Amino acid sequence: MIIAALALVGLFVAMYLWFFKLGLIGSLSCKIGGCEKVNTSPWAVFLGQPVAMWGVLYYVAMFATAFASTLERFADDRRAALALVVLAGWGVAFSGWLTYLELAVIHAVCMYCVISAIIVVIVFVLAVVEWRSTERP
Amino acid sequence: MATSKKRASQKQFTYVIAVIAIIGAGALGWMATRPKSGGTEIDPNLPVGTAEGFVLGKPDAPVQIIEFADFECPACAQFAMLTEPDIRARLIDKGLVSVKFYVFPLPMHKNTWSASNAAFCANEQGKFWEMHDRLFYTQDLWNTLATSNPDKKMKAYAEELGLDASKFNDCYDSQRHYPNIKASGIEAQNRLIDETPSFIIGGKRYPGSLPYDEIKKLVDAELAKVGAADTTKKGAK
Repeated sequence: MIIAALALVGLFVAMYLWFFKLGLIGSLSCKIGGCEKVNTSPWAVFLGQPVAMWGVLYYVAMFATAFASTLERFADDRRAALALVVLAGWGVAFSGWLTYLELAVIHAVCMYCVISAIIVVIVFVLAVVEWRSTERP
Repeated sequence: MATSKKRASQKQFTYVIAVIAIIGAGALGWMATRPKSGGTEIDPNLPVGTAEGFVLGKPDAPVQIIEFADFECPACAQFAMLTEPDIRARLIDKGLVSVKFYVFPLPMHKNTWSASNAAFCANEQGKFWEMHDRLFYTQDLWNTLATSNPDKKMKAYAEELGLDASKFNDCYDSQRHYPNIKASGIEAQNRLIDETPSFIIGGKRYPGSLPYDEIKKLVDAELAKVGAADTTKKGAK
C-alpha cells in the first residue's frame, strides 16, 4: 500500500517535469538546485523522448503493479512482489545513473530528480521486504 | 474479524490514494492554468522597429562575426564568459575581427526582454558592452529562476556602471526600444537562426557555443579568402 502511494507521488513529480518539457507550465519552480539546467540538457532525453515522459510511464507501471498486489487475489502471489522488486531495482539503477550525470557532467542538481530517486530507493527497500515476506509456494 | 479488519485497511488505503490523487492533480492543474507570472508580458501587437546590431571592434575589420544571443540563455553566458575574452584579446584587439551582436529573445525566458531593454538603454549612453558583460556574468542573479521582477536589478546595474540613472530609468521604463528588440528577434528568424548562441561567419551559420579554437579556424579561413595577413603572423594564437 505504501508502495502504491509512493508511486503515485512519483507519478505526479514526473508529470510535473513532463509538463515543463511540453511547455505547459512555463518555468520550473525550483528554489534549490538547477532544475531547468538539468531538464534542458541533452541528457534529459532518452531514446528520443524526454526522460520525464519515461518517468511517467515507469510510475504508472509501478502504481499499477503495487495496486494489483494489494488486491486480495494477489495477496500471496510472489510474482507481483517480484515484479515490484525488478521495477524498483531498475528505477534505482536509472536514478543512480541520472544522479551521476547531474553531479559529474551537468554540474547541476534537480530537486525533483532527487525526490524521485529517494522514492525509488524507499520503494526498492519496501519491495524487497515484501517479497521476502511472501510465502514460497 | 480478520476480514473486516482487512476491509477497513483497504478502505483507508483507498482514501490515502484518493487524497494524493486529488492533491497531485489539483497542483498540476493549477500550475498548467495559472497566469505565467514574472518577467515582461510582450504585447503581440508591438510594432517592429529596426534590427540594431551592436559592433565591437573596428567596423572595417577584415572578418565580421555576427552573433545572435539571448541574455538569459545559459549557453550564451558561458560563451560570453569563457570564449569571448579570448576573441576580444586575440582577434578583435588586433583588428582582425569585429563582432556584431544581435539580441534574440527566446519565448521561454521571461526576463530576457528586461535584460535586452537594459542593454539597449545602456547603449544610449555608450555602454552597451559594459551592460552586456554585466548581464551575462551575473545571469543567475536576475534570470527567471532568481526573480520575477528584474527591473530593480537592471536599474542597480546601470548605477554600478556609472550611467546617468535618471536618463537610464526614463529609457528603461518607457520601453521605447522594445520594437527594436522585436526587430532583432525577427532578424534572427529571417536568417534561420533557431538556437542561441548562433554565429554567422563568412556567410555561414554556426549554431551553439563555439570554442575559441573553432572560431579561430573559421576566422583564419575567411582571412585567407580576403587576402588579409594570417592571424598567426600578427601574433594571434
